[in-house]
Amino acid sequence: MKIGSALVGLFLGALLGFGSALAAAGIVGPGARFSGAVDVSGWASDWTIGSKAANPWTRARVARHGLLALTKEEAVYFTRNTDDAGDRLREGCDYRIKGEVMPAQWWSITLYNSESYLPDNTDNALSYDLTDAASAGGPASWLFDVSANPSASGSGWVSSRAGGNFDLTLRLYKPDADFIADPERVLQAPSIEKLGCGEAN
Amino acid sequence: MRLPFIGLATFVIGFVAAHFIVLNALPDYIMSKARERMTGSGIAVHAWQMSPRVTPETQTIVRPSPDLAYAICIIDVSGGPVSLTVPTWPEYGSLSIFDASTDNVYAGSLDARLPDAPGVRRIVVALEGQAVEPAEGVDVVVLAKPEALALIRRLAPSQGLYDAAAALVPVSTCGPA
Repeated sequence: MKIGSALVGLFLGALLGFGSALAAAGIVGPGARFSGAVDVSGWASDWTIGSKAANPWTRARVARHGLLALTKEEAVYFTRNTDDAGDRLREGCDYRIKGEVMPAQWWSITLYNSESYLPDNTDNALSYDLTDAASAGGPASWLFDVSANPSASGSGWVSSRAGGNFDLTLRLYKPDADFIADPERVLQAPSIEKLGCGEAN
Repeated sequence: MRLPFIGLATFVIGFVAAHFIVLNALPDYIMSKARERMTGSGIAVHAWQMSPRVTPETQTIVRPSPDLAYAICIIDVSGGPVSLTVPTWPEYGSLSIFDASTDNVYAGSLDARLPDAPGVRRIVVALEGQAVEPAEGVDVVVLAKPEALALIRRLAPSQGLYDAAAALVPVSTCGPA
């Protein structure tokens, strides 16, 4: 009786442990963050990404959702999946992203679907970067739209067509040292304003 | 009273053991699957392979950057150290090494605009315990396991820059030291 109870407990515990590990790693769902988290106005990062200092949950989640990510001395990665109102970013809505000077040698913002892949469209509008900002008037004040159809405003455009529920990843290459030391103070995080949503959505 | 306690105790033991065994095994498993996919697609060990320009159709790993030109070399140091030489680039660029557990164990700049840019970045990758002769201008990367990946990133947001980055791959090396 005792052995039976012990085996049942062991089996159920192992089953739940297996499932919770897959969930924490983001094999099922978005994954979990337990430490090292950096959050600047809803843009989330983790300074231990890519390094041996990362805890086992971060290592597993990055292996699944950010394989071959660099350490913070070379690049940092921020991800956001909600707009300024806290609503989930989704293909059926249009958004305007605004930002200022970024504390890095080069930066880009790229749209990914819920599986962490580029959306399956042929719009050739997958990201917005420092090169685009510089050619559109300067890196000190820039904006672009995210929508399923080309922007009518004439500003830059990143296509969310076939993106479903998506997120945006801000990459900062060769980040400034003072930014790494105090990201909440130094980074003027880009805003994400929802312009409107389609009737079907 | 003892019966539920025994069941609860083994439940906790089973949960903790399975959770951490799976969690710690996942990075190595995912990296080995990534290597298998690469070799299965015809990428040779110890040879730089330029990745196609990143598009939704060509992406093979999660979260690729469409603004970068990537080149990859599969490394196996079980037979001895491996030497890599990579030319620098007029914009942002990096040469990085990822070990079998997905850790970024080395990152060197390829940006030719930096004051200490070497012209050609040279590194030697070796397994713990393998002898490596120190040489000026050569970085040494020591691995705990023999499998690794080397990755070149070069800022190349246009087709012209991608083509220029691709032209540097034949003059880059990745092979036994």
